[in-house]
Amino acid sequence: MKGPSNISANVRAVLMSLVAASLTVWATAAEVVVPPAAHHQASAAEETADPQDALPAVTRSVVNYPVPAIRLVRDDGKNVALIDELNDGRPVVLNFIYTTCTGICPLASHVFSQLQHQLGAERDQVHLVSISVDAEEDTPARLRAYAQQYSAGPSWQHYTGTVAASTAAQRAFDTYKGDKMGHTPVTLVRTAPGGPWVRFDGFATAAMLLKELHGKGQITAAVSSTRP
Amino acid sequence: MLACVVLGAGAWGRPKPLSEPSFDTAEVLYRQGLLPDGTSLRGERQGAEPIEGQAAACANCHRRSGFGVEEGRIVIPPITGKYLFRGSSNDAAQMAHSGSEALSPRRSRYSSETLARAIREGIDPDGRKLDYLMPRFALDDATMSLLIGYLKQLSTHPAPGALTDILQFATIVTPDADPAKRDAMLDVLNHFFGNKNAFYRGDDPPLQRERRIHFRVLRRWQLHVWELSGPPETWETQLQKRFKLEPVFAVIAGIGAKTWGPVHRFCESESLPCLLPNVDLPVVAERDFYSVYFSRGVLLEADVIAARLSNEASIATPPRIVEVFRGGDIGAAAAQALAAAVGNTVTMHELRSKQPARELAAVAREAAGADALVLWLRPDDLKALPAGVSLAKNVFVSGLMGGLEKAPLPPSWRGAARMTYPFDLPEQRTIRMNYPLGWFRIQHIAVVDERIQTDTYLACSIVAEAAGTMLDNFVPDYLLERVEVELSHRIINGYYPRLGLAPGQRFASKGAYIVRFPDPADARVVADGDWIVP
Repeated sequence: MKGPSNISANVRAVLMSLVAASLTVWATAAEVVVPPAAHHQASAAEETADPQDALPAVTRSVVNYPVPAIRLVRDDGKNVALIDELNDGRPVVLNFIYTTCTGICPLASHVFSQLQHQLGAERDQVHLVSISVDAEEDTPARLRAYAQQYSAGPSWQHYTGTVAASTAAQRAFDTYKGDKMGHTPVTLVRTAPGGPWVRFDGFATAAMLLKELHGKGQITAAVSSTRP
Repeated sequence: MLACVVLGAGAWGRPKPLSEPSFDTAEVLYRQGLLPDGTSLRGERQGAEPIEGQAAACANCHRRSGFGVEEGRIVIPPITGKYLFRGSSNDAAQMAHSGSEALSPRRSRYSSETLARAIREGIDPDGRKLDYLMPRFALDDATMSLLIGYLKQLSTHPAPGALTDILQFATIVTPDADPAKRDAMLDVLNHFFGNKNAFYRGDDPPLQRERRIHFRVLRRWQLHVWELSGPPETWETQLQKRFKLEPVFAVIAGIGAKTWGPVHRFCESESLPCLLPNVDLPVVAERDFYSVYFSRGVLLEADVIAARLSNEASIATPPRIVEVFRGGDIGAAAAQALAAAVGNTVTMHELRSKQPARELAAVAREAAGADALVLWLRPDDLKALPAGVSLAKNVFVSGLMGGLEKAPLPPSWRGAARMTYPFDLPEQRTIRMNYPLGWFRIQHIAVVDERIQTDTYLACSIVAEAAGTMLDNFVPDYLLERVEVELSHRIINGYYPRLGLAPGQRFASKGAYIVRFPDPADARVVADGDWIVP
């Protein structure tokens, strides 16, 4: 009764393990600061003697992502070009969310909310960009309500658009996982238009992002990166 | 009758039942993140601001059922007592969900003490840290024991209709349903159930080990057809009586015409999962959980027309609109929804005569100067539209009510009309449609109403897939959670370009085309603009 495209749960489980494994390999090839997030943190966080201090394991890598020509709809209803939104001269912090997500996204949005707060006077000099991976459900009105829930300031915008546009944006940043439930926590930081993106796989904290924005990301050693 | 699937109690023995007030308090804590004293639950993560209240509620991640879910590489593990208090196990009868179990680390069994430590300090029974996603909760002892008591009983109650060797389902037919459509739907359901049971090995003993998993999961499916009678006010009571007599695990499909509210209310009040494809006027209620629809039907069409009108430069704001509908039919609600969306420049015309030709001619004359005439009419009324009259600037026809491309519009109207089309375009769905249509051919099912039959087949497939990932955990809330996941990554969706659900999402397809007829003489439609998601 199943259509051929419906991969069974078992196969998916195996595939996901493979994806996990391949990401590990990919991460090692990049500039790895800390081993990628595992279910239980393995040996990485280990210098933390007191488990109360557990911080997320995050992989940091530097990647060039050319921004494709995609039009998205901003939370104020305006149709915009992604490239113009990203190249407005300000540093950009970007993530992917959807408003009815209950696991990963609330944490990601919390981190943005906190980052916004920690930026203080610099808040409006950094552009926070959240793109929906559930474009049809997340209408501009829903995104506005969601933004309000996380006290988003004027420099934090949410974007939706057609399914094709959202998918293209996810592909452009190598975060597309087929459907919204497949998403993984990824945060991208770019300090200047035209520059490379710093990609965090795992739950990057506001402090990690702030450090990156202040140009200290490169020099953070493994330890300081896990303990900002 | 229900005494069958009491699942193996763990090492912790049978859960001590919580008293009713404690249960309610614990459920509010689990689902809404409110502590017994009414203040917000607070969860903390290192390096992040605390989360509070609803955002900190267990059910957010672990879901109402407590069975958890996978999100990408992250597995949110089950936290029902059955899993927490058992050791690591390969026994499928003890598993939550094949995917999450495959990715979950092995761990020793929890005790109430180590579980309290996990919740407060984020350390599992083997001393390992829990994932960063799991916050820590500084609960006092009384609240902790309330919560643990709740987890122990969570999802342990035998579900109605889920027996050791049989799963009972129902489908619902309201008295106003078109008998031909009813039969068309039942034909699909009966064949699907027959097929499902053709694989069943009735003599096998209940599953004991994982190697026998297929026999256990493939319970025989039985269908009950609940035919309602009398006025809608009595339907809810009738359904409750039937449910008591014939406990079912879920409702698959069903068919009505003008009223669906009582069925929706029944599903919610009985906490009964209802997957309802064939409803063109569903109940839209934000917090409702148990009724799942394929779309918002005519209400979606109303929003799509409103969106089109607001984007059309040639149309005044607010536009002057005339809407026509039959009293008591679903078009009345759609007309109201559109009127509410565009403002107070709408003239509503309720059609009264059985032979509406003259009435329709009068409306058409009245609407000739309007920005738009919107027809919320069934085929019989569309047939009676007058030929040779001058029409409004824009004529919109409800595709759902009018019969999509087969709508019997007179040629002059067909040339002018724009039709809401909340499905993928015919030529774009051809390949997807090969699956249901091929299956109908193999099953010798006469295609009487392609959309209803395809949607019914799709609903059956989705329930079968979702149930197939539940292993032995036949819990109504869990079925819905699995339906959310399984439905969202399907590609073969019959009439729909894509379907998607999530917590709080109960309408799977979100948009529509507006189509026009390039040749007034035939039924071919082409898109008049992009897919609109209002």
